[in-house]
Amino acid sequence: MTSSTLQRRGAATGSQPLGRRLRLGAAVLAGRAAALASRLSGRGSGASIRGQVMLRLDPTALATLLQGRRIAAVSGTNGKTTTTHLLAAAVRAGLGADADRVVTNADGANLHHGIASALGQAPHADVAVLETDERVVADVVRLGRPEVLVLLNFSRDQLDRHHEIKALGRSWRNALEAAGADGPVVVANAEEPLIVWAAQTAREVVWVDTASRWQQDASLCPQCGAGLARTQPDPETGEGGDWSCTGCDLAEPRAALKVRDGQIIDTDGRRWDPRLQVPGGFNVGNAAHALAAAHLLGVGTEDALAGMRTVTSPGGRFATATIAGTTVRLVLAKNPAGWAEALPLARSETVVLAIDSAAADGRDVSWLWDVEYEQLRGRRVVCTGPRAQDLAVRLTYAEVDFAVEPDLAEALRLARAHGSAERSEPFDVIATYTPFQRLRRIGGIA
Amino acid sequence: MSTPERVHVALVYQSLLGIYGDRGNATVIVQRLRWRGFDPVLTVVEPGDPLPDDAQIYLLGGGEDAAQISAVRLLRADGALERAAERGAAVFAVCAGYQILGRTFTVGEHQDVTDGLGLLDVTTTRGPHRAVGELLGCWTAPDGQVHEITGFENHGGWTERGPDAEPFCTVEVGIGNGDGTDGAVSGSVIGLYPHGPLLARNPALADHVISVGLGRELEPLQHPEIDELRRQRLAAVRAGR
Repeated sequence: MTSSTLQRRGAATGSQPLGRRLRLGAAVLAGRAAALASRLSGRGSGASIRGQVMLRLDPTALATLLQGRRIAAVSGTNGKTTTTHLLAAAVRAGLGADADRVVTNADGANLHHGIASALGQAPHADVAVLETDERVVADVVRLGRPEVLVLLNFSRDQLDRHHEIKALGRSWRNALEAAGADGPVVVANAEEPLIVWAAQTAREVVWVDTASRWQQDASLCPQCGAGLARTQPDPETGEGGDWSCTGCDLAEPRAALKVRDGQIIDTDGRRWDPRLQVPGGFNVGNAAHALAAAHLLGVGTEDALAGMRTVTSPGGRFATATIAGTTVRLVLAKNPAGWAEALPLARSETVVLAIDSAAADGRDVSWLWDVEYEQLRGRRVVCTGPRAQDLAVRLTYAEVDFAVEPDLAEALRLARAHGSAERSEPFDVIATYTPFQRLRRIGGIA
Repeated sequence: MSTPERVHVALVYQSLLGIYGDRGNATVIVQRLRWRGFDPVLTVVEPGDPLPDDAQIYLLGGGEDAAQISAVRLLRADGALERAAERGAAVFAVCAGYQILGRTFTVGEHQDVTDGLGLLDVTTTRGPHRAVGELLGCWTAPDGQVHEITGFENHGGWTERGPDAEPFCTVEVGIGNGDGTDGAVSGSVIGLYPHGPLLARNPALADHVISVGLGRELEPLQHPEIDELRRQRLAAVRAGR
């Protein structure tokens, strides 16, 4: 695979009228200054403030910055950041020496200003791999006309905002319908009824079957409201287990790529062992989506897999670091579906679980009762973060042994003290969004 | 040693009415029974399955509009909850489940009116704004003791009580029914707005539901972790956090 097969769409921002370019240029400069100030004052990476300043000075900056690039957007509730990293690495591998043609918002800033910030930094990169918040998907489809849109999954996240979920699905559906023949080819999870319904209006869909275990969020048909029926999967092969509506024709579509036993399989029965460095079956599912997206952008399978194998700790996920004298491995889990995948990854005898309810975590921690913490019985948990006590009560009812230490650094010291007999460092730390980002900062994890 | 007394708990339509961690209420009831030496049996009833007619405690949670309408249709066809209320079994419902127990409720932009089960004399219509956040209430238990109620509410409908429904509690912080009270009680049927693991934060209420189901009083259980959580949540909600 050579870079010549990854055709350019046309010069990036260079094709814009001169007046537009000047205004955008001023906005980019002002944003850069704000980002520098933010970094110098230690408040953050500056990505978000940079984009905010740019969009305030030039509200059309995002639309302008998206023009002239080949775009792949990645969205969904869980796995956006990892999949974006996997896809960007796959495309870079496909481009070889021209890898700097790729721009991506690797830091996970995935709202309008985060995307604008990343694009503003790389005016000449003509291939954009963009992590896109669920609420921004419709705008990116409308303004950027992406070629590929990856829709990973759609589940409960931030319960205090849960009533928005169907409306978001509808916004995707409407944006894809409005884009018509100019819209993206969608790479989407065939197992999720709401995703399948939302993607129905796309001009073309490549379906992926990740054999995910989470089904608690889908019981009614998003199209007609009738109940959904599921066939039991064959316990030997994992085949079947498909859903269909009992009231209309919505049903699980046939997948072009599926994941079985940690391998990716296409419709011809060809199998690839992804041999990723990021752990867990759900990341093989993410890789299957990234592989399908890479194919659509013109990247070959071997290049794509070689690129994806270089990804180790996207946005700090699964990173190992020494924090407060304790070697830890950081895992992010934002919602019940994420926890269902993350908890089995924890290997250490003493596990640190960090819970917060800031806006980014969701203010309602009722979801704690949808997570099977009972699987930790026989091990020891250190509960930390501002909502540690809510977890403590959950673990009381789950009959799991625990200690409570709201302060993150103290909790890690406590884990080390409790786990001194263990040889199995690093300690696994599973955290909701806000404590995860704090631990990343404390641990100096990129 | 005598055989432990069996107590049957039914969690109604978990996949439809379980969006906000509502299974937590069942986890709490079952575990508190077990800690007291009972032999609890939990039946998770899914749409299409008949509700058991021999449970002492029935639990309903919250759900989205479409799920709520499906659930109420199925429950009306089933009839077991009405029979349960008649024979004095505990029926405990939160959020959308509470609305379902009332006379009517409305959903959607067009305020379509849907008939509830009529077990509580309340009607729910769309409120002036969505109620999302911590709720702090004050509940006087049948024994005269006063307990603070702490929970999280998230609902678009506000609820008006008729003459046959007592309010469950008064509201100090939050919306609840929308008139300074939350919930409603009629005989062994209780409904209120804070969803999901409400009973985890309110052990006195959990034990009250069990007492109603069993028809007798229980000795309290000591759990300092739960007392500490209550202390933290009450402080946070009073500080406006």
